[in-house]
Amino acid sequence: MILVPLSPLIPQDIVMTFSMIMTNLLYGVTIGSTYALIASGLSIIFGVMGVLNFAHGSFVMLGAYTGFTIVKLTGNFWVSLFLAPLIIAMLGGIIERFMVCRLYGRHVLLTLFLTFGLSMVFSSAVLLIWGGVPYSIQVPYYFKGFINLFGIYYPKFRLFVLVFSCLLVTFLWIFLNRSRWGLVIRAGLFDIETVEAFGVDIYRVFRLLFIFCSGIAAVAGVIIGAMRSINPVMDVDFITVALIVIVIGGLGSFKGALIGSLILGLGEAFGAQAIPGLAKFVTWVIMAAVLLLRPEGLFSEE
Amino acid sequence: MVRFRKFVEVAILLFLVLLPLGSDRLFSDFYIALFLRIFIFGILILGFDLLSGYCGLVSFGHAMFFGTGAYVAAIAWKYLNNCVWLGILLGLGLNTIIGYVLALLCVRTRTIYFVFLTFAFSQFFFVTANSWRLIGGADGIAGIPSPTLIPGISLGSRTGFYYFSLAFLVIAYWVARRIVNSHFGRVLEGIRENEERAKFLGYNTSLMIRRVFLISGLFGSLAGALMTGFQPFVSPYYYHWSLSGEFVIMEILGGMGTLVGPLMGTAIVIFMGDILSTWFKEAWMLCLGAIYVICILYSPEGITGIIKNISETGGLMKLLNRLRTN
Repeated sequence: MILVPLSPLIPQDIVMTFSMIMTNLLYGVTIGSTYALIASGLSIIFGVMGVLNFAHGSFVMLGAYTGFTIVKLTGNFWVSLFLAPLIIAMLGGIIERFMVCRLYGRHVLLTLFLTFGLSMVFSSAVLLIWGGVPYSIQVPYYFKGFINLFGIYYPKFRLFVLVFSCLLVTFLWIFLNRSRWGLVIRAGLFDIETVEAFGVDIYRVFRLLFIFCSGIAAVAGVIIGAMRSINPVMDVDFITVALIVIVIGGLGSFKGALIGSLILGLGEAFGAQAIPGLAKFVTWVIMAAVLLLRPEGLFSEE
Repeated sequence: MVRFRKFVEVAILLFLVLLPLGSDRLFSDFYIALFLRIFIFGILILGFDLLSGYCGLVSFGHAMFFGTGAYVAAIAWKYLNNCVWLGILLGLGLNTIIGYVLALLCVRTRTIYFVFLTFAFSQFFFVTANSWRLIGGADGIAGIPSPTLIPGISLGSRTGFYYFSLAFLVIAYWVARRIVNSHFGRVLEGIRENEERAKFLGYNTSLMIRRVFLISGLFGSLAGALMTGFQPFVSPYYYHWSLSGEFVIMEILGGMGTLVGPLMGTAIVIFMGDILSTWFKEAWMLCLGAIYVICILYSPEGITGIIKNISETGGLMKLLNRLRTN
């Protein structure tokens, strides 16, 4: 929600110092890397399975809330970072097994409608279970405070998020480009029928992919929940972000999702400071412009 | 079948005309308000069905027309003159411009990209309404005077506005039915089934889509203006994507591309919202969502699909028998 009037578009303190620019740059990349975790999963699911998972943002939110509860019960951040994605991945598996898999081969809009309904169910369930109060996941003591990075004071936990999500994205990249499973997925992005003709059980691939991407979304949920706050409308925030990212990057493109996430993260970090009221406006304009001029996305591989 | 439908239509209309007579004696005034809400959203859903049900282009930002209609009516009634026609006509005028321009842009995309684009445009309107102080910003506009039919005759009473909206619903239904039965309507269905083929038959499909987009926007605009007459305040919520999502739910629960179905869907969502929220308190959204999900999984054609199934198999008993033998 933006409560800023559009009239004072140009604030006085638009001149930024070097350290401010560096801090924003770092923050933008941090945010962008978490977006990449969410958007790449959404993009790959769409590219391979032809399912536009509107509930992907709900997985992020559920991951964050589950992680919050686990930290509260066990007091250990690492346990929740491991367990919460596992639980959400299981939930993703159940949804794929009993709902999404009934709609394979049907119109793509049907899966969008289904997952839209699911996201509605999840958001009201969260509201019932955890209430509408915003929470924050407790981080370990050694992640509190700031660290001095070449003269810039940067929160330690954000640095951890940056390193952790970059590692995870790199792992995903290697997984997609170097492993046998990645080969199947990349082939599936181009022509799923041929993959099936080669004797691969594509429905098993679909299920594992859905489970895996739900888990990754939940990982992003836990670290975002610890970095920012958890609230019952964050599912919408993240699904819109992810949608914008994959529209910019091209549906089904991993590289496009990464670049799109970085653009959006940097835009958010700088835009929030330079033009607070207009930042969201600009995002929607960019999305509309990309859809109109290059509907296949800026970095589409096809 | 057509005769049967005509009979049902007249029966329902008679029921709706006679309904306010029983108000306060048989049931509370609250139900009149509930029906009013159904009429208003019903008008919008009829237009929505022309675009998404008949033409196959699902818009996820239809609230932008609704919101614009509501805001224009609010501003016109509050600051210019509280004649009801002024607000409605100004809203239709502005929405014609908006609809024309957006149709030019949106017609370039199909299916999922059309969903994204309409969603992006509606967010655009939402952000504007939410941050533009001149039209109230996040607070919206309150204290809108109740409109007058002609100078001297107020539409302030609930029954008066009930009949006013009902008249518009009937007109909207008639217009939509005429469109669906016309040549234009058949071409729209052709575009939904196979656009390439419609093109090869010599139809300018892009022009057809632009037309139906504009028409469905005008239905939404009218509904928005009536909503302002019903509830004397407007807020950026009228532009919110969740409202657009609600339209999609109404449409799908009823059955896309049937006109009657989406109207039933509207009635179901609004009635169910009322009943479920008294039974389940805060959990009602969960119940509605669950019902909607089950509907998509087991009967994507909605209520009308179920009814059609039953009538085609020759009654409920035969259907049960068939299910048992299978």
